[in-house]
Amino acid sequence: MPELIVELRDVTKVFTQGKIEVHALRGLTLSVQAGEFLAISGPSGSGKSTALNLIGALDVPTTGQVLLEGRDLSQMSRRDLSHLRRDRIGFVFQAYNLLPVLTAYENAESVLALQGMAAADRRTRVLALLDELGLKGMEHRRPSELSGGQQQRVAIARAIASNPAVVLADEPTANVDSETAEKLLTLMRRLNEERGVTFLFSTHDPRVMSYARRNVHLTDGRIDRDEEATG
Amino acid sequence: MNSLQLALIAWRNLWRNPRRTLLTLCAITFGVFLAVLLTALNDRNFSDMIDVAARLGGGHVVIQHPEYIDTPNLTRTVSGTTALRAAAQADPDVSHAVDRISGQAMMSTASHNAGVMFIAYDPDNEDDTTLSFLEGITAGGLLPGGGANDKSVVLGHKLADNLHVELGDKVVYTLMDRSGEIVGGMARVGGLVGTGADSLDGGLALLPIARVREVLGYGPDEATQVALFLSDSRRSGEVAQRLHADLPPTASALTWDTVQPDLSGFIAMKVGGAVFMELVIMVLVAASIFNTLFVSVMERMREFGIMRAIGYSPRQIFGLVMWESLWLAIVGLVAGIALTAGPYWYLAKNGIDVSAAYGDEALDIAGVGFSPILNVGIFPDHAVIIGLVAMAATLTAGLYPAWRAGRVVPVDAIKLL
Repeated sequence: MPELIVELRDVTKVFTQGKIEVHALRGLTLSVQAGEFLAISGPSGSGKSTALNLIGALDVPTTGQVLLEGRDLSQMSRRDLSHLRRDRIGFVFQAYNLLPVLTAYENAESVLALQGMAAADRRTRVLALLDELGLKGMEHRRPSELSGGQQQRVAIARAIASNPAVVLADEPTANVDSETAEKLLTLMRRLNEERGVTFLFSTHDPRVMSYARRNVHLTDGRIDRDEEATG
Repeated sequence: MNSLQLALIAWRNLWRNPRRTLLTLCAITFGVFLAVLLTALNDRNFSDMIDVAARLGGGHVVIQHPEYIDTPNLTRTVSGTTALRAAAQADPDVSHAVDRISGQAMMSTASHNAGVMFIAYDPDNEDDTTLSFLEGITAGGLLPGGGANDKSVVLGHKLADNLHVELGDKVVYTLMDRSGEIVGGMARVGGLVGTGADSLDGGLALLPIARVREVLGYGPDEATQVALFLSDSRRSGEVAQRLHADLPPTASALTWDTVQPDLSGFIAMKVGGAVFMELVIMVLVAASIFNTLFVSVMERMREFGIMRAIGYSPRQIFGLVMWESLWLAIVGLVAGIALTAGPYWYLAKNGIDVSAAYGDEALDIAGVGFSPILNVGIFPDHAVIIGLVAMAATLTAGLYPAWRAGRVVPVDAIKLL
């Protein structure tokens, strides 16, 4: 039976803007199994970003529970949440968000360095990963010397280097052209299939949805469609 | 991630905006430059002034009768000066110890007379390193090795003019001994001295101490003062305190600033002003650094949010910005030293001639003349303090920006979707 990685139980999230209360999530319940390749989609204001922030341990729900590998995030301290993000969650952002002063290699190894892994072990793992992601020979380039697609591949390397439980990808194809987007999606799908990396996307991009094996569609903070892809 | 990795990232971060970093470094460099030169000017000139004052009178520390400071007359003496000098010279801070008898006398010729201040010293043991008047001797001098048989006197050149005497002429000096009797001695004018100060040139007489002891009926180990000279005038308080414990009740050890409160007050006022100026400089430097770091941090809040998201702790982000601050301090300090070295070396060697600003007026502060050439020479501990204060100012300026960076809420900073 596949392992349950992410579980949202009747989660609500209310933001207060001045005197107005905005209900971003209204009783969201969602389970994500290990190895899934899942896209959360929906119109602006549907609660995609709020859901991803909660799963990424970046925010806490107003009511309900968010569990990652069975651990209730609302019961964890800030320090523990920080460690959880470092050790069990990978992030891929829309604008790549690599550290501009670090090289591709240094960016990719940064989470491992934060975990305290020995330099030699980091080197072995990160060089192999960069090679696998088609970045061989670009290890010493800084982000400003890489194309958008290359930067996003470095971001993927950073996200999966520590073998996290789940990779949260925010519109990963939004800033790249169609050809690069296809290549990135193919790459992530391959990582999912070959390495078993669990990917959870938030997206507007139909291409991402077409690659996903499961599509969750949100409207007004609720799931209105949860579909397994066929074929 | 260890500190060195953070230090490396911080170093690179500094050069993301080279112009801003260079401007900040200029502020630190110039601040260090000003602080060092201002301090070096004060250290050297006040130190010289104190040394000149010491060489004019009782040294950096003077052992004298406890009542001599209030009633400086020839009845207030200290005995056993040979033992006192030996004890003082055993102190590692004391470089010279000499006996002195000083007081008022009447100097007369057959037709003229004048009141004088006399200093009796031992020509065998003193030179201009302990008695500055000796460097102003323009002709003749006392006889080394003459002891009590040396019946010569060195007169201020204007005093000699007033008395209408020349080298070799006889004069008679009269003093009041310890019993209140008038006693006198005959002397020949053995030399003339010029100090540049009218009051001294017209009223100073230098006499051999052995002869004056004989005239006054003092013992061979008796003097009005034992003057001690130190290698560093700043240690006079400690030396006086150490010596005081072993002195008999008829003697006390006083520091130069107790004996010369006018000069001490002048220097304290000047040093206070300089310290205030240096604090203002450091505050301006710190404000400049604060501005740079704060703007730099606010520009990177999103980046710090990303860093927090991928697992950097608040402490590591705080440390990163503090490293940036530390790098600024280190590079600014090194650049400050490099910028200061040349002018410092020049001013230490050649000084600045301020005589033009004073014209023909004597350069005299609190009764102590000083050289119109202002040199620099910083005390090593003051240089270290400036370095530490510059570091502290820079690091303090970095505290708030670093705290802000460490407090970033990742979800607010990055807006994941």
